Amino acid sequence: MQWTKKRKQTITLLAFVFPALLFYAVFMLAPAFGGIGYSLTDWNGLNPTYHWVGFANYTEALTDDPYFIKSIWFTLRFVAFMVVLQNALALLLAVFVESRGRSKVWFRTIFFMPNMISMIIGGFMWLFIFTKVLSYIAEHSGFGFLDQSWIGDPDFSFYAIIIVSLWGGVGFLMVIYIAAIQGVPQPLKEAAAIDGANTFQTFRNITLPMIYPALTIGIFLTLNSSFKAFDAVYALTGGGPGRATQVIALNIFEEAFSFNSRYGYASAKAMILFLIVFLITIVQLRFMKNREVEA
Amino acid sequence: MSNPGTRAGERQLGRRVGSAFVFVILLIGAIFTLFPIYMGLLNSLKTEGNMLSNILSFPSRLEFGNYADAFEKTDFMRSLGNTLTVAAVGLAGIILFASMAGYKMSRTPGRVSGFLFGLFVLSMLIPFHSIMITLVKIAKELTVQGSTIGLGLMYIGLGVPMAIFLYHGFVKSIPRDLDEAAVVDGCGEIRLFFVVIFPLLLPVTATIAILNLLWMWNDFLFPLLMLTDSDSYTLLLSTNMLFGEYNNDWSAILASLVMAMLPVIVLYIVLQKYILNGIADGAIKG
Amino acid sequence: MKKALYMSLVLVLMVSVISACSSKNNNETKPSAIASESESASASASASESASPSEVKADTPPQKVELKVFMSFPRFKDQFESYFAQFKAKELAGKNIDVTIKLEMPNPDQAKQILQTRLASNDAPDVFTLHAIADIPTYYKAGYLSDLSDQPFVPKVYESVRKTVTYDGKVVALPLESLSWGYLYNKKIFADLGITPPQTIDEMNAAIDKINAAKIKPFMLAFQESWIPQLMMALSLGGTVSSAHPDWIEKMNKGEASYKDVASVFDIIDLIMANGTSKPFEVGNEAGSTDFANGKAAMWVQGPWQAETILKVNPNMEFGVAPLPVSNDPAGAMINLATSTSLAVSPTSKNKEVALDLVNYVLDDKDSAPLFETLKFNPVATMHTYETFPWITEASSYVAKGKAYLDLSLPNGVTDETAKLLQSYYAKTVSKEEIIKTLDKTWAKAIKTQQ
Repeated sequence: MQWTKKRKQTITLLAFVFPALLFYAVFMLAPAFGGIGYSLTDWNGLNPTYHWVGFANYTEALTDDPYFIKSIWFTLRFVAFMVVLQNALALLLAVFVESRGRSKVWFRTIFFMPNMISMIIGGFMWLFIFTKVLSYIAEHSGFGFLDQSWIGDPDFSFYAIIIVSLWGGVGFLMVIYIAAIQGVPQPLKEAAAIDGANTFQTFRNITLPMIYPALTIGIFLTLNSSFKAFDAVYALTGGGPGRATQVIALNIFEEAFSFNSRYGYASAKAMILFLIVFLITIVQLRFMKNREVEA
Repeated sequence: MSNPGTRAGERQLGRRVGSAFVFVILLIGAIFTLFPIYMGLLNSLKTEGNMLSNILSFPSRLEFGNYADAFEKTDFMRSLGNTLTVAAVGLAGIILFASMAGYKMSRTPGRVSGFLFGLFVLSMLIPFHSIMITLVKIAKELTVQGSTIGLGLMYIGLGVPMAIFLYHGFVKSIPRDLDEAAVVDGCGEIRLFFVVIFPLLLPVTATIAILNLLWMWNDFLFPLLMLTDSDSYTLLLSTNMLFGEYNNDWSAILASLVMAMLPVIVLYIVLQKYILNGIADGAIKG
Repeated sequence: MKKALYMSLVLVLMVSVISACSSKNNNETKPSAIASESESASASASASESASPSEVKADTPPQKVELKVFMSFPRFKDQFESYFAQFKAKELAGKNIDVTIKLEMPNPDQAKQILQTRLASNDAPDVFTLHAIADIPTYYKAGYLSDLSDQPFVPKVYESVRKTVTYDGKVVALPLESLSWGYLYNKKIFADLGITPPQTIDEMNAAIDKINAAKIKPFMLAFQESWIPQLMMALSLGGTVSSAHPDWIEKMNKGEASYKDVASVFDIIDLIMANGTSKPFEVGNEAGSTDFANGKAAMWVQGPWQAETILKVNPNMEFGVAPLPVSNDPAGAMINLATSTSLAVSPTSKNKEVALDLVNYVLDDKDSAPLFETLKFNPVATMHTYETFPWITEASSYVAKGKAYLDLSLPNGVTDETAKLLQSYYAKTVSKEEIIKTLDKTWAKAIKTQQ
């Protein structure tokens, strides 16, 4: 009796999961395993035939491919900037917006707006700003420092990419943080204010610990999206000049479709990217979940 | 000013200065956010020569020629229709299948359920580039390639993991007593789900619909690979094709960019309350 | 019992979803296409237009054929669409075949990637464009090109051009863009300053001084897309190797040579970079054409394939094509002969007959010449009798003097690598020595993976 009930339960479960699983298996899992398979071959993405090469692609990527290693470091730098800046700005805006009266709705609406726009479209919009508008302003207003080669000089284009990515991403996190702040019980804050805590102290000691779970989510989202960043870089610099602003996703893309179009090799790099994202995310979630419990 | 008697007043003043400071910061942020959109809109209404001579000023005469041109060249109505077809098929499938799966996995304890859930969630970290070519091959085999409906079907496969994740979390907030009461009433599992549970999932369903709609609407690389014929191009692809055609004529390019984002902006302004609340709910409860 | 019911219910659901989709798929695309056609017809309100389809319906209904055509030419969309419309009319009248052409024209920088994905996933377009020198060897070896040797167009193609689309003894593509190119120069600026195209580096230095003195920038730099700076290396290496190191390529393939042997290729590149317009990474191909057409610089290392774009901006622009000097030996200044975009037919095409008709029609005895003329392409075959453009005549005059070579055949990937490195070189993130080292390595690796 007990056994059949459990069995029935499992079968109902499978029936409910089946449609989702079917689509997922066909369009996500199968190609993912295909990708793993190709990463062990020398397939060039074109020939009908290929050979098994074992882990040679992985060894080559990690030991004999300076551009790939460089793109990893570049991406890590990008991710570090994004995680800090995006979350700090989103939090700051959330607190500020939340402190406003009627204008609250307006600011919230405006800050979120870029999230509605494709990064390809947004990227081209910014390309116009960086190449045309800023040099025009510099020429006609005396803000000479604006007249930089924002796209062409690797020192500046890194920040150009950061600016555009922040523009497109801060609003989303801000909305999450606003919701978290609204979840903090008002009496707690009032009690703190009566105890003589100033705004900053209240934030530091009451609000921040209470919204810790939201921070976990915010950082998770930023990590995940920044490691896979592609569209904004593609639209702005295409990874150039040379490979100065090449993120990992772009390096993989290039390996698969230009040069020798070594698709097998590119798949191996994609697997490495997956492992990096996987490990860092696991560590982040573990670490922050632990602190959440303490807080 | 240093008179101790005015401490309260000083505090008030401090608060007001602080408030003004906050307002200024927010205003700068808002200007920064809107600046590219505003510049794009402004210069799309000028002719090329007019634009170069003064990029910041308001156009002396509104030129809608760029828009008429872009409207025709992107075949706007058809592209919009294609985009809507893709999104409708994808959304229907994602919401229906993911809600069923998410609900049941959340309710069923045990290893099978845990394994399945892990399987779905893990894939949220897979970079799209690593599945790209194999996916095109599979799509070809199943003849779902090249059509907008087929693209929508593929989005179901790519979109269910995140939706399941959100449903899975949300279902926990629905009391189990409801299920049990319904079962006692002789309600079948499927009916139970659609009649009792699904309506309760509405808030998170809204979130999922918004997030997925945005994703499908703004996705670039995947439709580029899957749609083989410019008659079935989505709005973004038609716009992208224009860049190759225009001779670096920024005002024409900007007009096409503005047109491509117009539908989402309108949608956003109309529904902004639901969209923003939906996203907040999804993140906090999911 | 109950579980079986559940399973079947789910299955029914699935089947209904899938079948609904596939049937919808067929129905939905067609009515909308018809609807939009009838809309436009009624909008135009011309009775003759809407009447014409019914006239065509002769005794036997025409055979319906659909062709997928892939071209990396969005800038020529209008021209090719109307040309294909002519083809449709011809095919209907001549063979009673009603051809529908599904034309795909992605951006050139995405085209190769999309095409490769299609080919690799067994979804080859019936007819597609490729790059004769860069793509034919790999695509041929992978079996994606039909043998076109016995097609009617072949004997009409000029011998010298035919060679560039012949591989393994077979003609595998129809040449569209045949090129004889060097760098472009602004004839008016040259004439005003009394300069003739320099043949040595010293002469080039003198010319640069004169141009600078006239407060004009000697060279246009448009480096946003990496293939443009790459052209400098293509010309400089081509001239150097062809004039002074004829066996260099062969030796490189055997691993017995190095870019160090031809390090002088950087002399002219350094000179161009030092005397170019500013902020080159913000200038793409189109913007560069615009600036060059408006006289912002005297010279531009770019091919005459830009002619159409340049003349669209400034129809009165007069530009010439000259060989790039690479050393103080005038023999090194040579014109590069190449074939770039070509048209191939997929061996897996289901309607190969019609696909071949289409390809042959591109070199049609009557209609081809006007097409090539509007595209401002070089003549590639005997029927292209239109008056040649001045820049072609100029380049041909060098060719006649023997100052020309067939484009070097570098291993796959070396050209792309060079392109990236030259961008970095301008941004000063790599040195000459690093370029030499990296290119040697890339070359060796390419040879290894090709085997």
